Amino acid sequence: MIGAGIKRGTAELAVLSVLEDGPLHGYEMARRIEQQTKGALRFTLAALYPMLYRMEHRRWIRGTWETSDNGRRRRCYRITPSGKKKLSPLRQEWSELFQALRRLKKVAHA
Amino acid sequence: MPDWQALVRSQLDGLALELHERAEVIEELAAHLDETFEGLRRRGFAEEDAAQCCLNEVKDWQKLSRLIQTARTKENIMTNRVKQFWLPSLFTLLLSMVLLMLIQFFGPDPWTSASRSQQRMTPVAVVYLSWLFSLPLIGALGAYLSIRAGGSTHAVFSSIVFPVFPYVAFVVVGLPVALILDDRVAHNITIPAFLVGLPAWVIFPGVALLAGGLPVRLFISRRLSARRIAGG
Repeated sequence: MIGAGIKRGTAELAVLSVLEDGPLHGYEMARRIEQQTKGALRFTLAALYPMLYRMEHRRWIRGTWETSDNGRRRRCYRITPSGKKKLSPLRQEWSELFQALRRLKKVAHA
Repeated sequence: MPDWQALVRSQLDGLALELHERAEVIEELAAHLDETFEGLRRRGFAEEDAAQCCLNEVKDWQKLSRLIQTARTKENIMTNRVKQFWLPSLFTLLLSMVLLMLIQFFGPDPWTSASRSQQRMTPVAVVYLSWLFSLPLIGALGAYLSIRAGGSTHAVFSSIVFPVFPYVAFVVVGLPVALILDDRVAHNITIPAFLVGLPAWVIFPGVALLAGGLPVRLFISRRLSARRIAGG
């Protein structure tokens, strides 16, 4: 299981990455991230929504209310053009970090 | 199935956002818990266990409330501070200063505390009564502007009394200087001069500003409370 500190750093990348595939509401987003990371990243409600609101405030994502076929109202989030712009340097930063960690022998053998 | 809306509403009671924004947050979080509960039930969880898992999604509701509030308002702090405090405060200060200047040039003579029979060295308080009588209006205006921008009690109070702050600052800086240099400086900034000047330029104007600002604050707060009750 990944620790809270590392998870916090990767959270925005995870959210932007899943939203790149299409709009999702909060619950779906949390499930998608959990499934795609095979349970390594799991967001509780308490962790997810403050982050979504923060990202929305920065205009990286945009939430709109939608009504599903069964009449339920859900807030669907979409990645915005500025979110897409942010995603690429974020990926680059994390990729560089992982490469750097891999270069450390002790980490590689951990 | 638990009433998630009611639970979230009661737990996020202290969430200080606009009414519609707060309602949206409650609806969204309740919908999340609702789906989590149903998802767990579909996976074979007993109703009680599923409900418990949902409750475990949030360990500390107060912290969540704080985080949501910060996330939604953090980047507006500067804008809010300008709108709720600086603009009303500087506006009331400017208005009171311009008014004082106009009264000094064109208005009636001020009231002075010393009579002609008193000694020349006695400090004299100069009180512009017409200025004092106009200050409640300025205080009311400061309160109105700050409340309209959503200012807190602190911001509203500061906006009301801001026109006396320069005089307070003068006393705060000048009084220690007078205490240290009492014998070596001109007579008009000695301690007795401060004691006479303090009510004339700080206490009376402050009271006059509050006399106008506080009723406005009270009146608008009551109206807002009534609206909140009516809006559920």
